[in-house]
Amino acid sequence: MAARPFRLIYTILLPALTLWVWLLVIATFSLRWFSIERPGPPVREIFPYGEMRVGVDASYAPFAVATAEGLFGLDIDLAQAIAARLGAPVRFVNMGFDGLYDSLKTDQVDVLISALVTDYSRTNEVLYTLPYYNAGLVLVSRANQPLTRYHDLRDQQLALEFGSEADQIARRWQRRTPMTILPYELPSYALDSLRLQQAQAALVDSTSARLYRREHPTWNVLFTPMTDSLYLLATRRDRGQTWEAINRALAELLDDGTIEALIAKWL
Amino acid sequence: MKSNQRGMMGSMWTQSLRSLLPWFLRLSLGIFLFRGFAEPLTAVPLDPPQRVITQKPQVCVHTRLIDEVYEGVIQRSLQMVREMGADTIVEFFPWAYAEPAKRQYDWSNFDRIVKHARNQGLHIIARMGLVPGWARPEAEVANSTLNTLPAESYDDFAYFVSQFAGRYAGVIDQIIIWNEPNLAFEWGFQQVDPIGYVRLLQAVYEPIHAANPNAKVLAAPLAPTLEPPGSPNGLNDLLYLEALYEAGMQGHYDAMAMHTYGFTEPPEAPPSTTALNFRRAELLHEIMTRYGDGDLRVYITETGWNDHPRWTKAVRPSLRVQYTIDAFRWAETYWPWAEKVCIWAFRYPAPTNNYPDNFTLVNGDFQPRPIYTAIQNFALGRSTEEALWLPAPSG
Repeated sequence: MAARPFRLIYTILLPALTLWVWLLVIATFSLRWFSIERPGPPVREIFPYGEMRVGVDASYAPFAVATAEGLFGLDIDLAQAIAARLGAPVRFVNMGFDGLYDSLKTDQVDVLISALVTDYSRTNEVLYTLPYYNAGLVLVSRANQPLTRYHDLRDQQLALEFGSEADQIARRWQRRTPMTILPYELPSYALDSLRLQQAQAALVDSTSARLYRREHPTWNVLFTPMTDSLYLLATRRDRGQTWEAINRALAELLDDGTIEALIAKWL
Repeated sequence: MKSNQRGMMGSMWTQSLRSLLPWFLRLSLGIFLFRGFAEPLTAVPLDPPQRVITQKPQVCVHTRLIDEVYEGVIQRSLQMVREMGADTIVEFFPWAYAEPAKRQYDWSNFDRIVKHARNQGLHIIARMGLVPGWARPEAEVANSTLNTLPAESYDDFAYFVSQFAGRYAGVIDQIIIWNEPNLAFEWGFQQVDPIGYVRLLQAVYEPIHAANPNAKVLAAPLAPTLEPPGSPNGLNDLLYLEALYEAGMQGHYDAMAMHTYGFTEPPEAPPSTTALNFRRAELLHEIMTRYGDGDLRVYITETGWNDHPRWTKAVRPSLRVQYTIDAFRWAETYWPWAEKVCIWAFRYPAPTNNYPDNFTLVNGDFQPRPIYTAIQNFALGRSTEEALWLPAPSG
């Protein structure tokens, strides 16, 4: 009978303890292994020409604009930040919007960074990255009179740009909730209307709203996203390594606040 | 024991199948009903035959119907074109869509556009292009674009266009050969090649006329650009047109298609070899005249202004309206050689979510933009007093 506790120790507790020790050792080594910062693949493996060739239509402020001094804008800064993260030189290829995807297909460029949204008709040839900016519509209201859903607009006056996507959506809302639409020529006029107390809310794209707020920094307003229009980068589907490297760099830039800072710089 | 287990399993299977049966029936009913509702989306009855009423026969619009899924959208677009007072559309008829394999044709997408255009009383100017994979060298397909047309496929292209011309003779009598070949992008991202383009015109000219003696072969519209010789992006349209004449274009086309955009300048802004604006068409016409083709008709198959708030080459919506109407008036008064002035573009099949969307006349829901209403008022001779938007707020 006295041998029973020892038998219990030998047959159950000791093996269990050994197993736990081994698991601990493996876990410790795994954590260490995965936390080691390894250099990414060589630049030539990511970009066959040894540089990150970026296709951009530099006629779209404030994302990319061509001047006599060079190219400027959020997309340009973003491309430079990604290239720096990957240790690659960057070269911009400025072209018209219509030619962007064909330039990728014909290997003129490695990546498109040009205020693009997903084009589902191209996903058999193109890989899109994480989004870096949402250019969708925002409902703008005064912070002390917040309106955050279209139901809140019942019997209110909503300012917007005539004939825009905002107009299209507001007319759909109007079928469900009675509201007065105030159509203006420009998104900035719609925001003027809200600021000058002529409307209770404005529905405009987030870029217009952000640019307007820069001009009126003391204006206390609330932006409520209503639709998504996600800007992302596009690479060739048959260059998985390029996509992976760029997407990883983009994720790091999103995580460490770089992209937020770039957006704040330009918008 | 084992046979007992098998019996129990069998009974469980039977029970499961029985319990699934009602769901299967519900699913079948659902599919049946969905088909019943879905059918009207694809099969659209024609309107009674329509006629375009307009006071401005030059007014025309470029549509983008070929990629539409639903026939109802094609019909609605063409109804609104007619109601706007345009009697002609320019539409793209891609070779790759109609001849997916050599000498095997599928005209169905083309037919439904033609059917509805005729029903609405509209003329069609056809733009041809887009190369099927089989007409490109196999090794290049992966890295070539649908705009890559190798010289060895010119005859195949010519044969296809002649089939097209014969099939739609009497309905489509103006056929544009290619689009903006002075841009590398439109020439398959190869160095642009005026001599190659003239060879293409030479290849198609006789077969088209053999198939439809009344057809007019329109030389491709050139993209307005200042790209210098040797640029990888393309070649200045004025230089390219001269190169076409030097390469022997004359006698291999019946009329000229042109693209001219106003960008940020008003339509009356004087033309210049160093500027891109609406009257650049006059410089192209001067070259035609210099080479003895000044009497040929010109079709402005793309023009217009853009009113996107952030495109650097756009104007505000009120200016877009004013410039466009003034451009029609300018062409009417000073361009007797211009047969049609076609606005780019009526509506896109899907939004780009970028500045090109602001070239359209109506949005995705067919809501007219101010420019649509303005062109309609102009074409129908209506007064334009009614304001579309509120005045700018003032505090």
